[in-house]
Amino acid sequence: MEEKRIGVYICWCGTNISLMVDVETVAKEMAKLPNVVISKDYKYVCSDPGQDIIIKDIKEHNLNRIVVASCSPRMHELTFRKTLVKAGLNPYYFEMANIREQDSWVHTDRVEATKKAKALIAAAINRVSFHEALDSRSVEINPATFIIGGGISGLSAALEIADSGKKVFLIERSGRMGGHVADFDLTFPYMYSAQQMITPLIQRVKSHQNIELFLNSEIKEIFGYIGNFESTIHSKDGKETAVKFGNVIIATGLKTFDPSNIENYGYGKLPDVITSFEFEKMLLNGIIKTKDGKEPKNIAIIHCVGSRNKNYHEYCSRTCCMTALKYANQIRCELPKANIFDIYADMRSFGKGCEEFYTLSSRRNIKFLMFDQENDLPKIVSANSGDNCDMLIEINEKLTGKTIEVPADMVILMVGMEARENAKEIAHAVGISMCGNSFYIERHPKLDPVATTTNGVYIAGGCQAPKEIPDSVAQAKAAAARILATIAKGSVEVEVTTACVNEDFCCGCQTCIKVCPYTAISFDAEKKVSVVNEVLCKGCGTCGSGCPTGAIKCKHFTDMQILSQIEGIMKISHLELQEA
Amino acid sequence: MSYKPTIVAFLCNWCSYTGADLAGTSRIKYAPNIRVIRIMCSGRVDPTFVLKSLREGADGVLICGCHPGDCHYHEGNYKCLRRYHLLQKYIQQMGIPKDRLRLEWISASEGKQFAQLVDEFTESVAKLGKSEIRQVMETLT
Repeated sequence: MEEKRIGVYICWCGTNISLMVDVETVAKEMAKLPNVVISKDYKYVCSDPGQDIIIKDIKEHNLNRIVVASCSPRMHELTFRKTLVKAGLNPYYFEMANIREQDSWVHTDRVEATKKAKALIAAAINRVSFHEALDSRSVEINPATFIIGGGISGLSAALEIADSGKKVFLIERSGRMGGHVADFDLTFPYMYSAQQMITPLIQRVKSHQNIELFLNSEIKEIFGYIGNFESTIHSKDGKETAVKFGNVIIATGLKTFDPSNIENYGYGKLPDVITSFEFEKMLLNGIIKTKDGKEPKNIAIIHCVGSRNKNYHEYCSRTCCMTALKYANQIRCELPKANIFDIYADMRSFGKGCEEFYTLSSRRNIKFLMFDQENDLPKIVSANSGDNCDMLIEINEKLTGKTIEVPADMVILMVGMEARENAKEIAHAVGISMCGNSFYIERHPKLDPVATTTNGVYIAGGCQAPKEIPDSVAQAKAAAARILATIAKGSVEVEVTTACVNEDFCCGCQTCIKVCPYTAISFDAEKKVSVVNEVLCKGCGTCGSGCPTGAIKCKHFTDMQILSQIEGIMKISHLELQEA
Repeated sequence: MSYKPTIVAFLCNWCSYTGADLAGTSRIKYAPNIRVIRIMCSGRVDPTFVLKSLREGADGVLICGCHPGDCHYHEGNYKCLRRYHLLQKYIQQMGIPKDRLRLEWISASEGKQFAQLVDEFTESVAKLGKSEIRQVMETLT
């Protein structure tokens, strides 16, 4: 067996780690562990100079295993694997200890955090000794892209990819394209016509030679992996089309909150309490009228309906404040004499041109009234015959501290946005994760906001979180750019951490075949052993823990690697107890 | 001062480890006794890993996976659940209270819940005191 020569690098991450973990002491102590040739601490190990130190040490000291203790492996494992490749080592001779996200950032006691760092690094040092070289496997990328959802995000992404000469399959559940934007009149803050923006996009998609469009269509499941996905498109008329593609963009959008359950607002009971989307239709048709055909003299707009309230959704739906101001401005133009009441909780006018739009609106004789959206919702009731209006809104107005009654002939509820009812089915079909609110989770909230944890699957638009049009378009085009980059490269390296069977140990019990979720294992009747198809295997390791003889090895997560990690953790724990 | 236990945790890469990372990026504080081992799926938790941790003297073992129905590998968490119930019975037969082993579902967005779970489990393990196996080990040496 080759001699293990381990290099250990402990990152300060500026002060992110070093404030809470005594990195210098840890580096000194780790140097005493068996097989550790070098143990160093450095300000930013992930920086170019940091990586150069590792490369230089590998060459000078003949290191063959590397441990970096820094941030989460979800952040920089790939970075450091590439460093090893640069130095001529197999990338899997590397292990990371997470002493930032799971140590320095979550603890307040420096002594305890330092002890924890030692345990995690000792575990990594133990583990890396058992690491084996794995050959990378690269797969060719099918240049076609599959886009789910024909709203502004899906259309934008489709055109971006198709214009570069690559094939796009675009599927849309409904019979029309354009999504919510197709239902909008004007857009905030510059009052551009939504129709004038979306119609040319739809026309171009319809006539584009590289886009194959499937309306009234859905998918049940997507099989395969980055570069080589396949699926069947089911159309409502019963037609089935099998398609193959290399990447996927999920742009399924979101839906509006149903305010029927908010008793105070009487939606569904009071005829002239309408949702923002119902009002948008009125604007699109150019007629603002109450249910019995009258011109409303008093119009109230209520914000945060279904948003920022723990009974409904705790999050902010992001677009409603500005849409409310847009309505107030449009009403002011259409009905110059109407009383307009904007009943808001906090005015969130972030973004380019939006605060200016708010300032402009405040000069147009719109009355702004503030309420507590968390604990004290306004109450809408029918007015009495002598009130000279149809409804009254009772508000505990926060700025004056007084309870006031506002007359209204029409009330517009600024309904929040929520995930679509079939969000979970789509997530399962493509193998991506959802947050507690059923929006899809991006790979990294800051640094990778369009990719998902499943390689080759991207998200764009409202399905990730409520967002306005420019953000949706930006995300869609970013996803398109990412996909075009992989297509341009032509191939991509895939994980090789699959399972394999040691035929000498396999007793032929076939337990592994029963537990495998991918039918990746079959039985060789002649040899009486199980056989893993490494293309189908996704490396979950469930077969490994079911195997009674230890014949199945889960590459890079072998029994020995994990057991040695446990020993490393406990070794430090015993030392601590002895010291105490 | 109360006993400071050592807890070995197995977290699946896709939900629970990501949730634990989120607790970090959100700077949510929790008890420092936990030592996390990352695995791809809770279905990878071989019963040997739990027994090895206890044999080495861990005071508690925590396993976290994706919520039922949300497993990145479809159903690994269900396999884990079955093994967990068997393991709890088994360790009891060896004289180890079943509460030293716990399985919980933590999604990628549940950083706060992960922090709460760690605090709660640390406290309950601290109440159980030094692991029975560690006590025997110390008597023997």
